[in-house]
Amino acid sequence: MKIVAVTACPTGIAHTYMAAEQLAKTGAALGHEVKVETQGAMGIENELTAEDIRNADYVIFAADIEVEERQRFDGLPTIEVPAQLAIKDPAAIFAKLNQ
Amino acid sequence: MDNNKFEPLLKLRQYLLTGVSYAIPFVACGGILIALSLAFAPRGANNAPDPSGNPILSMMLTIGVAAFGLLLPVIAGYISYAIAGRPGLVPGFVGGFLCAHIPLPDGGEASTGFLGAIIIGLLAGWIVNWIKKIPAPKYIKPIMPILIIPILSSLFVGLLVLKVIGLPIAGVMAFLGGWLQTMSTGNAVVLAMVLGAMIAFDMGGPVNKVAFFFGAGMIEQGNFAIMGACAAAICTPPLGMGLATLIRRKLWNDEEREAGIAGLAMGLIGITEGAIPFAASDPLKVIPSIIVGSMVAAVIAMLGQVGDHAPHGGPIVLPVVDGKLMYIIAIIAGTVVTALMINALKSLGNRKPAAGSLSDTKYDI
Repeated sequence: MKIVAVTACPTGIAHTYMAAEQLAKTGAALGHEVKVETQGAMGIENELTAEDIRNADYVIFAADIEVEERQRFDGLPTIEVPAQLAIKDPAAIFAKLNQ
Repeated sequence: MDNNKFEPLLKLRQYLLTGVSYAIPFVACGGILIALSLAFAPRGANNAPDPSGNPILSMMLTIGVAAFGLLLPVIAGYISYAIAGRPGLVPGFVGGFLCAHIPLPDGGEASTGFLGAIIIGLLAGWIVNWIKKIPAPKYIKPIMPILIIPILSSLFVGLLVLKVIGLPIAGVMAFLGGWLQTMSTGNAVVLAMVLGAMIAFDMGGPVNKVAFFFGAGMIEQGNFAIMGACAAAICTPPLGMGLATLIRRKLWNDEEREAGIAGLAMGLIGITEGAIPFAASDPLKVIPSIIVGSMVAAVIAMLGQVGDHAPHGGPIVLPVVDGKLMYIIAIIAGTVVTALMINALKSLGNRKPAAGSLSDTKYDI
């Protein structure tokens, strides 16, 4: 499956990027095509393009704070989890996709 | 979703964290600039630091105070933004600004502090969402977001701050300040323990910031002891982790030793976040260690009657601290306790490798 994801934590210097890495790594291991945008203290990085989002089957928000420019993802099936879950148990998030 | 009951609470938490996440850089910038300018300033009346005679220092102070002064508007503005999106910004910022500038009959101003800004941010967001629902004729629609919503919501929010909730909240803050000043030693120790634990618990996250803003708010009330306890607790997590990597190098891998050096540097300038890399890879051992260390530091600072005049922590604020010797002792004690405890927990885990499976997960930051 093609999956886009956004990660964001309150301080935006550590957990945001750890969550992004875990999602990308785990998603790839499960055979998904995953692209992750980080919304940390530096603002939006690795920004998802309109094409990424159009082609995606799912969007995962692994965020403790409000996701910026959320309206970009309107209409896409969404999974929302705390950023912490993406770090501790990313596989559980991808398992939700199959439910 | 299976957690419908908790959904509203989770949302509320998300709103508050959004506000705090935007505010953190303002706090760091303002806090450090204020601390530095006071640190190098000569002593004036009452032995308090007075930078007014030095053009560079007084300029730094002005800039730091400006950054810190934006704190309440930014918190309220972005809480409101999290709830209502872009239209939430105006009433949030206006309401947050007013929280710090409530005119008093005698010509002075009262401030609600952090607490008032949070409440106003939430109210502003909800008010905007409520105005959005009012059906507008088609020809008014385009001016709703740039004219109608900002004006209506700001009027409403401003009225709430100035005439309804502002003064009561400011009164509560002033009362807290007075109560803390008359608090008995036993209660002060308990308070220091709670503050220390909160400061270390999430290393610069929202729990930490609640304790921090409480201390910073009390400075405004003329009580420097609360910030003194916080200031000592703020720096011991990264300092303690750094010291731990130095005294038992075998227990730590190359990356962690590097993070340890960075931790020492961040600890010196009062950035608790320096401990995050350690806590991320081994939370069950690191977080209890830094909590205990910070509690020790906070209690010693409280008992030693340490006072901090700047809204910032760590050795960097030493020049603006009352009770310098006790402040240093508090920091050293907290740092050593943190380092010894984490190393003890680490070596225990190493002897019984089966129990240490949690530390197998390593993350790059």
